[in-house]
Amino acid sequence: MTGSPSAQHQLDLVPDALLAGRAADGDTAAFEALARRHGPLMRATARRLTGSLADADDVVQETLVQAWKQLENLRDPAAVKGWLLRIVGSRSIDHLRKRRHHLGLDDLENRAENHVEEHSKPQSTDPEHNAVNTSRVEALKAALALLPEEQRRCWVLKEFNDQSYEEIALTLNISPASVRGRLARARITLARTMEEWR
Amino acid sequence: MNTPGDALECGHSLAELSTYLDTGEIADPAHLRSCPECQAGLASLRRLSELGSELLSSDLADAGSGHDDWMQSILDNLRLELRPGRNIPLRTENPHDTLWETEGAITALIRSVADALPGTAAGKCRLHGDLAGGESNTADENSTSGAGIIVDVEIAVVYGHPMEERAAELRRELAKTLAFQTELTIEAINITVTDVLELPATPTPTTPTAAATLPPPEPIPSEREDLP
Amino acid sequence: MTEHLEPASFSPSETSPVAEPHATAPSAVAEELLRVIQAVEGVTAVYPAQPLWQSIAGAAIAAVTGESLPLVAVSGDADPLAVKVRIGVGTVLPAPKVARKVAEAVRNHLLPRPAAVEVYVVKVQPVS
Repeated sequence: MTGSPSAQHQLDLVPDALLAGRAADGDTAAFEALARRHGPLMRATARRLTGSLADADDVVQETLVQAWKQLENLRDPAAVKGWLLRIVGSRSIDHLRKRRHHLGLDDLENRAENHVEEHSKPQSTDPEHNAVNTSRVEALKAALALLPEEQRRCWVLKEFNDQSYEEIALTLNISPASVRGRLARARITLARTMEEWR
Repeated sequence: MNTPGDALECGHSLAELSTYLDTGEIADPAHLRSCPECQAGLASLRRLSELGSELLSSDLADAGSGHDDWMQSILDNLRLELRPGRNIPLRTENPHDTLWETEGAITALIRSVADALPGTAAGKCRLHGDLAGGESNTADENSTSGAGIIVDVEIAVVYGHPMEERAAELRRELAKTLAFQTELTIEAINITVTDVLELPATPTPTTPTAAATLPPPEPIPSEREDLP
Repeated sequence: MTEHLEPASFSPSETSPVAEPHATAPSAVAEELLRVIQAVEGVTAVYPAQPLWQSIAGAAIAAVTGESLPLVAVSGDADPLAVKVRIGVGTVLPAPKVARKVAEAVRNHLLPRPAAVEVYVVKVQPVS
């Protein structure tokens, strides 16, 4: 669908609440506009949660299937973004769980971590070559990949999606107190790593 | 809840500061304000949080736009699954076979024909009528599927393109395509111009939705689907 | 993702050796049929015969383990053998004709075993 400016692009100006309402009524164009609007954040989140972009795309697709089927249950259409991101969180966790079922746990961990690291090794051999901030972000990626998985999940859901402890707790099926603790441990480890790196 | 390296010498912990960062709640706010150690810890956590935002920006840049190919391919897959529509039977050469086109495949084809014409973009598209042609032809090799199908297509026309001409051209193209790609008997193809699009390259500064509010160059022959 | 856009071969004549379906496992038959279907002129994609939300998880697992999912559904022991396939086609040839060619190719491949072939054309789009 290329060529002429598409009518879809007009929907880019319509607020979330209206689009969600129309989508719940079966308007696929409105649903697709929501998907395009929030797709990048969904993809970025799923990538950090699953460890790979290929998995992230599967997760985004599963999320949109589930969202379409459940849209009519969404009470507050204005909250559709957070709702989509919570589905991304659950689908990402499920995705890893299903895989783990097939592979050994260690095997999977190694795969995911290696995959993350491939793209995120801090290029410390030639630090002057990179802008300082870029390499600090790269260092954070590497440090994040080394965190225990549950801590990483809490951190991503908090920092990328701004979820509350209660929301994260529901997604991960643990208590809000555990979320608070894991998030704190994740931050302490990351902060120390980054302070050392400075 | 203490973690190795968590406790500060003042007796408070980084974990408390982490919670404070999210909730604004802490047992001893007066201490927090005056304790250099707590302030240093808080500053470190805030720097991390800022770096987290930078990582998010970098990941968002990597993820690309929602108008890129990766999202298009996801949406293409979804269309197949979410809106397959009715099954349109096709003639078979063997009584054991059942062959179908999905309604969704045909409406997507119609949309792509409309999108491919210069100056037009497809909106809603519906097939009205009995697509199954009486449901009995799976064993009958010679029956003609569905009689008297009416096709309704809504399009948007780019401002400046002659609407009547565009609609007539699209009607001809669709008749040709549907005769070639389906076995449906098409009774009518109704084309409704529901929107006039302003080219994105010439935005009107006052109203971002200028296209919808411009006086149409000629009467728009249908109800509009304007938003409240 | 779930699409297999690259046909194994585009030779219009049936060149694949005639296997003995009775002696082959159903998944192997499905694999053979996939190649047969992809080789039919006009076919641009073969989609999983079962709905996406049932197959996505499987596809992810397959991506990791290197197994490929059987895209073509072949019922185990029924006689005639029931085959279900969902395809995407291009716009150069008429879609109904391509669907009939697919059914015919599947039937010929399975001979002498009788088959009931169900073909869904779920996508008709020009090849970009």
